[in-house]
Amino acid sequence: MATLASENTTKQNLWHWFKGSWTDRLLLLASLITIFYAWQWIDAEVSSGPPLVMIYHDDKLLARYAFPEDGKPIHFHAKGELGISEIVIDADGARFLSSPCTTEYCVSRGHRKKHGDIIACVPNRILIAIEGSHKQNGTLDAIVE
Amino acid sequence: MPLLNKIKLIPRPPLAELEYKAKWLSLLLLAVGLHIFEAALPSLGPWFKPGLANIITLLALVILGPASAAMLAIWRVIIGSFLIGTLFTPTFIISLAGGTAAAVVMLTVWRFIPGITLIGISLAGALAHMTVQLVTVESLFIHQHALYYLLPPLLLLSVITGWFNGGLAMYIVSRVKESE
Repeated sequence: MATLASENTTKQNLWHWFKGSWTDRLLLLASLITIFYAWQWIDAEVSSGPPLVMIYHDDKLLARYAFPEDGKPIHFHAKGELGISEIVIDADGARFLSSPCTTEYCVSRGHRKKHGDIIACVPNRILIAIEGSHKQNGTLDAIVE
Repeated sequence: MPLLNKIKLIPRPPLAELEYKAKWLSLLLLAVGLHIFEAALPSLGPWFKPGLANIITLLALVILGPASAAMLAIWRVIIGSFLIGTLFTPTFIISLAGGTAAAVVMLTVWRFIPGITLIGISLAGALAHMTVQLVTVESLFIHQHALYYLLPPLLLLSVITGWFNGGLAMYIVSRVKESE
């Protein structure tokens, strides 16, 4: 009984510290509504049509690929600020295979395949973004500069 | 003796000032420790950290006041980045921009929104931190609006961690006040 009473008190205490005031809850509600609508809007923007892999260096589009239907991997070498980042696009998604940056966070992110997914290598300024093909002009399978 | 007479004694600072400095430095060391701990954690997502070090900024806000809290937030990023070896790298710039923005927003909501607690302040800080980090990456490093695709899920995570950290800060403040 004593243990149960102690557990109840702990639960009440936890609720006490984490419940917040009405102002906090109002702020929470406003934040959640804003995030929900932003998410819906971005989803509608990028989810139209089959996914395309967009590879950017800074503000320049380097390449645009559809995911290979035959599953044969596509290798792309993106030249960034530090050197060459190797990108692979296959049936599992798009990923950085290697990068000249020191941290290699971009390589550790693994595959990305869903609409709206991105992988960024900030030191080398290379970005992989998965976008809907209907957002793009034309229906090319690949553009490479 | 003549030499000793020539030496002017440095006046002892008031005890209150020493106590204030000791508290500020203790909080700074705690914040730097948490900053390094968070850097060592496995990545939960690009530019996403649980924001545990921000709890110390909240404590500084309550215990020492707004100016000390703001200074602590900035120095925590500078010293923490120096110790983990990312000083003046893009990671440092992104962290500093996010940390400064969070501090400014937290102090603003604390000053101007009546009825807000440390939970609401922490929530606002977490949202500001994440938003400004992405804006910094987009404006300074990768000039692509596609980066903002990440914003809603990252903001949702920030809401959760911001609320949790605020609750934790309230608990710690109450325990500190009890012990005083």
